[in-house]
Amino acid sequence: MLLPLLLRQAASCRAAPRRLLHHQAQHDPRRLLHHQAQHDPRRLLHHQAQHDFLRRRLPPRLHAQSRNRKSKSEQQRDEWSTRNKTVLTYIAAAGVGMIGLSYAAVPLYRLYCQASGLGGTAVAGHDVDQVETMTPVKERIIKITFNADRHASMQWNFKPQQTEIFVVPGETALAFYRAKNPTDKPIIGISTYNVVPFEAGQYFNKIQCFCFEEQRLNPHEEVDMPVFFYIDPEFDEDPRMARVDTITLSYTFFEAKEGQNLPLPGYSYN
Amino acid sequence: MSTAMNFGAKTFTPRPPEKGAFPLDHFGECKAFKEKFMKCLRDNSFDNSMCRLQSKHYLECRMDHQLMTKEPLAKLGFRDLMDPPPNQSDRDSKP
Repeated sequence: MLLPLLLRQAASCRAAPRRLLHHQAQHDPRRLLHHQAQHDPRRLLHHQAQHDFLRRRLPPRLHAQSRNRKSKSEQQRDEWSTRNKTVLTYIAAAGVGMIGLSYAAVPLYRLYCQASGLGGTAVAGHDVDQVETMTPVKERIIKITFNADRHASMQWNFKPQQTEIFVVPGETALAFYRAKNPTDKPIIGISTYNVVPFEAGQYFNKIQCFCFEEQRLNPHEEVDMPVFFYIDPEFDEDPRMARVDTITLSYTFFEAKEGQNLPLPGYSYN
Repeated sequence: MSTAMNFGAKTFTPRPPEKGAFPLDHFGECKAFKEKFMKCLRDNSFDNSMCRLQSKHYLECRMDHQLMTKEPLAKLGFRDLMDPPPNQSDRDSKP
């Protein structure tokens, strides 16, 4: 707002281009205010009058009449157009805001799910020291049942070595599966797991197992596959888990092709 | 299982294990310890709390045969089954 005024003054004073540039270069708020303060109102008006005279205009009387008539409808039109522009700007801003919100919703929702643990998503922040310091909740006994599956084209024999095991939250437990390759060629398998009920899945922590990594079995080889896990002691305090007495751990083996690099699930949540 | 077309339904997201995957015991070096553990489980009607000593032995065997990264067993939740450290027992024995 102040810059046009400054430019007008510079122009009317018939300043050389160098001085104009000098003024512009000096343009920082403090200097500008100081500059303004120097010009008292009379000098300002004088400059204004000069400037008006310099501009080409219609004869005053005619111009005044037409200006009044034109100005009323012109003013109204101007008013409407500015109002329209304002409304359009607001609508456009709202639209852009909605688009931005929908993009931001993805990580925000993920954070919310992690914090509240809805839908069985991993609760962030399981630190390793918890295993060392946790105390078992001996009153709450949970039955863990084991299930073993394989893909239809996977030729391994895969089964759990125990159908169920009784654990308490806060205590580490060991369980075994057995896998046998009855064919005459080595087969590489890769497995994933599932925990039912889904909400209990966030309390089911595996310290070490055999999943998500390629496991190679030579022809006619049989191995024991351990799973070392624990149930988070906070399981006992969750009201949603009050009626959960059985948790089922289910592993499924798929055949992996040589050199295939599968992305590890859940890393984005860690 | 998490099936497709279940928009909005609760899905399960598997998590990778904390310490990664166990290397396979191709030569059955710790099979004896595993058999002891399984026998203990069957005798105690599959109660894990009674067989923690055997599971500790199994994991120790794995660590000895390089089938598991060596770690203090307290970090694996066996703090209550650990023997007291030697300097403490020496202090106890001193008059």
